[in-house]
Amino acid sequence: MKTESPGVEVKTALLRRFEPVIRSTTGDKFYPLDVEPYVRACSLWVQRPGEEAVCVVPGGELSLDRLAQQPMDEAGAVHFLKFTDTEDLGPNSRGGRLRMFRRRAKDRKESTRAFRAGRGRLARVGYFSRFVDALYSIALLARGRVPGESAAAASVAYERIMSEHENYRYHGRVLRQDGWVVLQYWLFYPFNDWRSGFFGANDHEADWEKVMVFLSESESGELRPEWVAYAAHNYTGDNLRRRWDDPEVEKVGEHPVIYVGAGSHASYYAPGEYLTELTLPLPSPLARVTRAIRTFWKTRLGQYVGDGEEDGGSGYFSIPFVDYARGDGLSVGEGGDKTWDEPRLISDPTPDWVSGYRGLWGLYARDPFEGEDAPAGPMYNRDKSVSRAWYGPVGWAGLDKVAPPTEMLEAILQQRADIVSRCGALRAEIDVKSRQLKKVGAELAAMRDRSHLDAPYKEGTRRVAELSGELDRLRGKLATDEAVSESLAEYSDRLRAGERDQARAHISRAHTPASEDELRVSRVAETWAAISVSLMLISFVGIAMFEREHLISMLVFSIAFFAFVEAGFRGRLVNLVSSANIGLAVVATLIIIYEFFWQLVVATVLVIGLYVLWDNLRELRR
Amino acid sequence: MLLILEVIGLVLLGGYEFLQVDWRGIDLESQQDQAVELAVFALFIPSAVLTLLSALSFLFLQRRGWLLAAIAQGLSLAVCLWLYSWFQPGYVYPIMAYCILMILYLNSQDVRVVFRPGQSHQASHEN
Repeated sequence: MKTESPGVEVKTALLRRFEPVIRSTTGDKFYPLDVEPYVRACSLWVQRPGEEAVCVVPGGELSLDRLAQQPMDEAGAVHFLKFTDTEDLGPNSRGGRLRMFRRRAKDRKESTRAFRAGRGRLARVGYFSRFVDALYSIALLARGRVPGESAAAASVAYERIMSEHENYRYHGRVLRQDGWVVLQYWLFYPFNDWRSGFFGANDHEADWEKVMVFLSESESGELRPEWVAYAAHNYTGDNLRRRWDDPEVEKVGEHPVIYVGAGSHASYYAPGEYLTELTLPLPSPLARVTRAIRTFWKTRLGQYVGDGEEDGGSGYFSIPFVDYARGDGLSVGEGGDKTWDEPRLISDPTPDWVSGYRGLWGLYARDPFEGEDAPAGPMYNRDKSVSRAWYGPVGWAGLDKVAPPTEMLEAILQQRADIVSRCGALRAEIDVKSRQLKKVGAELAAMRDRSHLDAPYKEGTRRVAELSGELDRLRGKLATDEAVSESLAEYSDRLRAGERDQARAHISRAHTPASEDELRVSRVAETWAAISVSLMLISFVGIAMFEREHLISMLVFSIAFFAFVEAGFRGRLVNLVSSANIGLAVVATLIIIYEFFWQLVVATVLVIGLYVLWDNLRELRR
Repeated sequence: MLLILEVIGLVLLGGYEFLQVDWRGIDLESQQDQAVELAVFALFIPSAVLTLLSALSFLFLQRRGWLLAAIAQGLSLAVCLWLYSWFQPGYVYPIMAYCILMILYLNSQDVRVVFRPGQSHQASHEN
């Protein structure tokens, strides 16, 4: 149920009252801007299946109105904008190329001076992840990717826009849903340079990020902030959401503070370095086998298997990326270095540039993993379906199961009334079944030990068991319902007394920045992490070439050496030693079984025989 | 106690192998038996030392005792497997069996919980 009621002025005033303060990281080059100058600087392209991309509207001629028309549409066509053009760095001449390289070198130099990567992205994860990470980087050569000079060209284009009219603007939307008033702040960045600028996962043109504030309305019409939700990568649900009075939600007056990931523009509640892992799950049959072995090992053999999450739970390896949200760069908003311009309102009816254009807001790189493709607009996903954050922001933030405070008491009382009435119905049903059971029981007693009534006696026995089971189930349900009803009554009393739930009870796995301990990785460990995978592969090749006579022993020795050093640096020596020991013990057990199979059989039978004898004799002596 | 027993066993074995070596006529290329005995003596020394250290650490209830004991068992087992793959001497089987039992014991839930980081300190408070 969704209605949009207040007028434009009221909506704008509401948005401005709670508009966020963004704090970026030093070295970040792009900040939220208005879509209009961006679109004006772009060209519109269409990629039809099996054809080369065609430019439909050249750069400088595109407007928000024209964008919505989406020309040359057909099945399978992908519309996309192109913001960067290497010609921005000069014409395709020798001089132009030179300017491009100069620009890239300048950008790199400035970026290096401004931004220093945190310690040990690779040192924080294992060998396999580092190996997969290397493959992922190599795969970028084969996959579609944003060209290397795009970040530099985007930087030039962005500077040009800002020099014409400097603006820091968000796109605001106000709507009502499920009793909540939702303020959506859509932040548009012209470029995501996470990979090229900050050792992240991807680069792409255009970046839409969102922050939402959920307000409740009192009976007098007063609006109060209750929850906030910041978007970070593709996460959704309870873990994104924080209650307004949660100490983790930093505020300047009534303005929530967002720490923006450098390059990625993901939003975080606290400053720091966030390890974001792309977890790759094992194929399900393999995962099932692994789970079965773990269960056997733990329950049958009583062996230690770690804390469960050490190996990633369902996903068994991950590619690590660090999101630097340090908050030491430019800040925009209340009390910041820059102030927000008047927001661009996405009001009702939805503007055509939002609803009419379903294409991508930047370059379509044809990346099968989509990481390098530009995103679609606020209303759509890349596949042109309507995004959940647009049609169901309350569900997107996991708030659909939470009633606004003004409705909470009513919801509790209604639910309790439903349960009480259900209890009444259950009691009546139990009464009927109980009488029925007694009658069948009496009938059964009358038929006992009469051979000519064997068949009805059997049927009666079955009926008694069935009725007894049903009664048991109903009584169990009644007991549970009564307990829940009691609990609801207590909960409503607590709410009436002004008590509130714990602010963080809904969070199962909060995204927290790396701790001081994690960041205190030594320089040696970091260097080791950077070179070890290559060193190991080179040593394997060396052994294969020069030590063929002792190939197996040398390979085992070198693997053991690398694993031992690695585990030492990562503080996982205990895990490594246990795993290695278990492996060795399994091999040794197999050897002993192979060498002494019949002796072991005889010994086992002998031991069992002696044990039985000892046990029986002990019983005799009592 | 089990670890002390293991040290005694390894020292006896090492000593026996050491006495078998004819030090004057050693030639690693031609006299294979002598070389094996020397290798066994050399290879079991680190295990014996580590086992002794771990036994002492256990006595003083130090957490690193578990790690030392585990490394010593792994090392002994690795040496046994290597010896088995080349020469199959008879004494490797009892050592292997002993190490397997020790590994299972050291890795059992009860032992691991006691030696988990931070656990011993907490336990002493509770007691």
